[in-house]
Amino acid sequence: MTETTTNAIELKNISVHFNNGDQQIDAVKNVDLTIPRGDIYGIIGYSGAGKSTLVRVINLLQKPTAGTVIVNNQKIQQLKPVELRQARKKVSMIFQHFNLMKSRTVQGNVEYPLLGTKISKAERHAKALKLLKLVGLSEYADTYPGQLSGGQKQRVAIARALASDPEILISDEATSALDPKTTKSILELLKQLNRDLNLTIVLITHEMQVIKSICHNVAVMDAGKIIERGPVAKVFTEPQQKLTNDFVETSTNVKEAIERITSTIKISEFKANQELMYFNFIGNSTKQSVVSELSQKYSVDVNILFANIDQIDGENVGYMIAIITGDLAGFNEAIRQMKNEGVKTRILTDGTLERGDGQ
Amino acid sequence: MSAIMPNVIAMKGEFLQATWETIYMTLMSAIVSAVLGLLVGVLLVVTQPGGILEDKLTYSVVDKIVNLLRSIPFIILLAVISPLTKFLVGTTVGTTASLVPLIFGIFPFYARQVQNALLDVDHGVIEAAESMGSSPMAIIFRIYLREGLADIIRVSIVTIISLIGLTTMAGAIGSGGLGDVAINIGYARFENDITFMAMIIILVLVFAVQLIGDWIVRRVEHN
Repeated sequence: MTETTTNAIELKNISVHFNNGDQQIDAVKNVDLTIPRGDIYGIIGYSGAGKSTLVRVINLLQKPTAGTVIVNNQKIQQLKPVELRQARKKVSMIFQHFNLMKSRTVQGNVEYPLLGTKISKAERHAKALKLLKLVGLSEYADTYPGQLSGGQKQRVAIARALASDPEILISDEATSALDPKTTKSILELLKQLNRDLNLTIVLITHEMQVIKSICHNVAVMDAGKIIERGPVAKVFTEPQQKLTNDFVETSTNVKEAIERITSTIKISEFKANQELMYFNFIGNSTKQSVVSELSQKYSVDVNILFANIDQIDGENVGYMIAIITGDLAGFNEAIRQMKNEGVKTRILTDGTLERGDGQ
Repeated sequence: MSAIMPNVIAMKGEFLQATWETIYMTLMSAIVSAVLGLLVGVLLVVTQPGGILEDKLTYSVVDKIVNLLRSIPFIILLAVISPLTKFLVGTTVGTTASLVPLIFGIFPFYARQVQNALLDVDHGVIEAAESMGSSPMAIIFRIYLREGLADIIRVSIVTIISLIGLTTMAGAIGSGGLGDVAINIGYARFENDITFMAMIIILVLVFAVQLIGDWIVRRVEHN
């Protein structure tokens, strides 16, 4: 029983099909997903991967064609309409385009979820003002959403989402319409809410940057299926699928760097004792002086073309692309040594790329 | 004045009476049509495919009735509907009798306009309300009718102006009002100043409706 009490959301074998004329579209295919209470769980995928459809199953805005949905230990598909509406109040949602009511003031929007409940008008006002203070928009209570910036609108939407004291917050591309700086501040706010209110957050995005900055766990979706999942640091450093690797390399700028480097330098002019190498340092290995060790201990020259260090779920991850020059024996010994220390290496000049002499 | 509009001066009392009749017909039929049109318009929006109370049968039946009623030219509707008018009002002539064809002539038009206005309400906001556990009734009253209010007022202005036009047509077959004066007195007796004056008063009414409507829209819209 402990398992059911620690999970906020359990999706079992969920499929969603749409009928488009004679065609059947399988938006979600046999997906299992368990999200622990208090987690920040990211779902990443390109548009059309089925992530929006999948998260809408959680509050039954989208009825699954097959499968079981358990939210807060309730099988919500068995609920009567009134009970379902009650259950939905515990699963709030924020959206890419904010979805605020333009005919209501900021305060009116935040009060909306409390309309028609037993809460008195005075309490409603007080709660809305408290939430607006929490998201840093106290002075905008009487403003209409039309006069706010994107980031402010999303803060109002977050305050509104919190009005019903939810246990789960679903964020549907909530930062995709915002600039990088605003995105960062909204993500910080979400992180704070997760910490202070023990709010379980399910976040869907197409940007690995977002996953990297706040999620603990991540699932990668493609064509209606979850193709890879796990703790963010692990998925980031040991991506198993090509798509995952794509997301990782795009967000770390490695992909761009490799493309830029291989298109500007002529690999065919490399000497036999030269290699273009990619290094990936994880955790403690980022703290060691690998480069100086390479040149001193194994008399290998390292010419760094690209380097970057990232923070992923609290752990340091480094990336480096460099031209290595030295004799084979020392070079192989160096690579073996680095592998032992947890550094991952890949020879970019190997196999796929053509070269004139040598191998 | 008496030189340019001799007949108008002579009929001052009739003009006042006719103007009042036009306002009465417009207002009374507008009130009833507003209720019917809002009901049907909301019904169409919520039962349409993908609506919050999706119901294919209801939608297609109501949709077809609205289309049918809208297809009948008003001048023919006036005649066709007269048995119903007789049954409801007891007579087919006079201002009150004209309300029946006016209502049937305008409410389907208004319903369609309301439907279009409500379709413009951001679907995302409806979805957000559903995600917050709002009931269908709450969504209709707290989201659709409130978020769509400015557009509903806009289409109401258009509808009232159309309605003023219809009252003059009803006037031609004996309901009274400015249409009656313009056609049965001005046109029939070749007293052109009377027809012209009737037109001027109607234009004033139309402008007044437009001005008041625009003012209300400005008050309720917060884009």
